[in-house]
Parts: sequence; C-alpha cells; structure tokens
Amino acid sequence: MKKLDINMKKTLIILSLAGVIFFAQTKTAQAQCNTDGFTEQCLSSLESGFTFLKSFKVDGQGGSKDKVEFSYVFSKDTEYYINICTGSSSVDGIKVTLYDSNRKMVGTNFANGKFFGAVKYPCSATGIYYITFTFEGSSNHCGGSVLGFKR
Amino acid sequence: MKKLIFIVCIFGIVACESNKKIDDEKAFLDSLESVTLNQPEISQEVISDIIQQIPSPLEISFLIKESGNSYNNELLNSPDNISNYNSNYHKALNLGIYGADLGYTNIYNQNQDAIFYLDAIKELANGLSIGQFFDFGTIKRLATNSQNMDSLLLISTQNFNNINTYLQEQNRSNLSILLLTGGWIEALHILCQVAEEKNSEQLKEKIGEQKIILDNIKLLLEFYREADPNINKFYDQVMQLDAIYSQININHVYAEPTFEEVNGMLVIKDNSTTTIDITDEDVAKIKATTAMIREQIIK
Repeated sequence: MKKLDINMKKTLIILSLAGVIFFAQTKTAQAQCNTDGFTEQCLSSLESGFTFLKSFKVDGQGGSKDKVEFSYVFSKDTEYYINICTGSSSVDGIKVTLYDSNRKMVGTNFANGKFFGAVKYPCSATGIYYITFTFEGSSNHCGGSVLGFKR
Repeated sequence: MKKLIFIVCIFGIVACESNKKIDDEKAFLDSLESVTLNQPEISQEVISDIIQQIPSPLEISFLIKESGNSYNNELLNSPDNISNYNSNYHKALNLGIYGADLGYTNIYNQNQDAIFYLDAIKELANGLSIGQFFDFGTIKRLATNSQNMDSLLLISTQNFNNINTYLQEQNRSNLSILLLTGGWIEALHILCQVAEEKNSEQLKEKIGEQKIILDNIKLLLEFYREADPNINKFYDQVMQLDAIYSQININHVYAEPTFEEVNGMLVIKDNSTTTIDITDEDVAKIKATTAMIREQIIK
C-alpha cells in the first residue's frame, strides 16, 4: 500500500510538470513574433503624403521560413512606399525585394551594402508585383511592413 | 489520491485546450442566413493569394480627383437603395460598392455624404455579421472634420482589409470576392463616366489597365460559380466585359531599375514601361457594359 502511494505521487508530479511545461511552451510560442505591434509601428512612420493601402505581417516563424511573399497590382504613374519595422531602429536583416509579373527584380531595400528602413517605388509599368521578404542574418525573423501610395 | 490524479489530468487537458481558439464565431455563423457553399477544390491559400492582388478603389478615386474632375454624387450608388439588398450576395457586392463610394466622398471631403455612406455600410456589415470590424464611432467623428482625411482613409481601409482577412479565415472567401469585386466595379464605373466627360488619355489608359484586375476577378468567380447560382450569373455578366477587354493589349517592356539614396531613403527608378492599346470605341463599350453590370447589382 505504501509503495502504491509513492508511485501515485510520482505520477502526480510527472503529470503536473507535463501540464506546466506544455502550457509555458505554448505561451512562449505565441509571444515570439509580434507582427501586429510592428505593423502599427510602420503605420505611424508611413511618410507624410502617402495613403495607406495594406499592412504585411513578416513572420519567418523563428527561422523556419526563409521567405514571406505577398503580391499586389501596382499602377504606372503612382509612387509606392514600403517600410519595415522590427521594434528597433534597424530592420534586423529583413530584406524586401520587388519583382514584376515576370519575376524580374525591380527594387530592394538593400543597396550600397546596407539596409534601408523604407523604399519608394515610382511605378512606370502597371502589373502584378511580388513583394518578397527574406531574412539576411536576422536575429528574430519577425517584423511588420506597410504599403502606401501617392499620385 | 485517485481524486488528486483525476484533478491533475483535468489540469493537463485544460492546458492543452487553452491553446485552441474558442470559436464563438462558428455557432454564430451557423445561424446566418446563407447558402452553404461547397468549397472549391483549389486551396484557400491560392484563393487568398489572388484576392490580395486586387487594388484598392482609392487609387482610382485619387486619379479622378487629380484629373480636375469635380465631385459628383450622382455617379455613386444612393444609400437609399439599401432596402433592396436582402441576400448575402447583394449585401456583399453593395458593401464593396458603398466602400468605394465612401472613399470617393472622403477624398473630396464631402463629410455629409460620407456619413450617409457610413450608415449604409454599417447596416450592410451588420447584416453580414461583420459589423464588429468597423469602428463606426471613430470614423464618423473623423468624417466631420476635413482635416482628418488621412486618418479617415487609414481607418476605413484597415477596417475593410480586416473584414476581407476575416472572411477568408472563416472559409467565406466567396463574400470577400464579392465585396472586392463590388468595389472594383464601382471604381471602374466612376472612372468610365469621368473619362468620357474629360476625354483624358490618362483616364482611358487607366480603364485599359483594369484588364489585369479583371483577369483575377474572373478567376476568383470561376472558383465559386458551380456552387452558387448567383455567382454563376454574375460570372456570365463579367465575361461580357472580358470579351471587350480581350481586344485591349498591354505591352510591357522590362528595363533594369536604378536607385539613389535621397535623405536616407532609398528611391528606386523604375525604367520599365507599359503601353496600353485602347480606343475610344473600347472605352464606350466598357462604359456601357460596366453600367449594365452595376445596374443589376444596385437595383
């Protein structure tokens, strides 16, 4: 009877620990990529004169995704603005690249050996464009971005 | 002791269940009056990828204002027509139309008309059980002051974006597609009316460019036409427009971009070009067909 009680106690402890660990891990996972907060940051830094179009959640899922891609129809004679926010002044290695409908590169935020927090793209060719976010030496693989336009 | 083990097991189960999203929405949605659609064979991810490409009607509204055109509310769908919209199909389409009209009134700082459209949008959104995504109080407050146009446009756009995301997440992409298509049809309708009046090459070109968006809309409607007779009928009407657009060519010439750093910002110079072959006759046909399709939606 005494042995049974000891085994039951061990079972209790193991089950309790399992519940706590599982719960804690899940909460940690949820806290990992705060894209909503970063897109809000990007919204507030949208350059004056540009009208908001949409926001992008750049979630590299801790490094398991090496690319996050969106697409949109850009119109000629319209200037577009894309920025990247990570909660700090740097873009944390998040590179945004624009490709046209034929997957030809038409723009990026990485130039002259450095990353830029925002790019302006005065479009002269209407079409579907792919907005691709990749991670170049990123620590958190997490950010937000907004797209705006002006004529 | 057995009771304690039982309690701990329950704790473990609750810890697992706490991670599941409590979907109150599901029971709510089940109670909605709607046709239960079979989901298309194509994946939701692919559908969402195509949907996201459809541009905001705001871009066309800005172009129209820039062309020097005065505000004309006769171009818009009267909010009084709202009593005609009883099915989810008509509600979703006209929610898109009124959304485009709201953007137009906001750009021209027509505060009173903007409030009328907000009321119409609120009624339709509530009818589709998506009213919770509109911050009507804030939007109305902003709409009363012409200095708030930027914030007004921002919040309105965010609200509509959130609605579309929600509808897709809830496997109601059919309504998201109708909403976006309604907005697009309204923007195209206004554009055609103004282009004819102004005889502007830029506006005519913009009409021609819509071929790209129409290709996406056609594809999206095709996914649902078998399951929904309303969408099937709408698809046939849209194909009439497609037949006209098949005569229009968009020529794209790629050239390597260049860039420069201006005040700490990277500015790309796009050296590619597109030219659009569109005639006055094409514009007239597009105008008439768009008006016909729109009339079917708003009456």
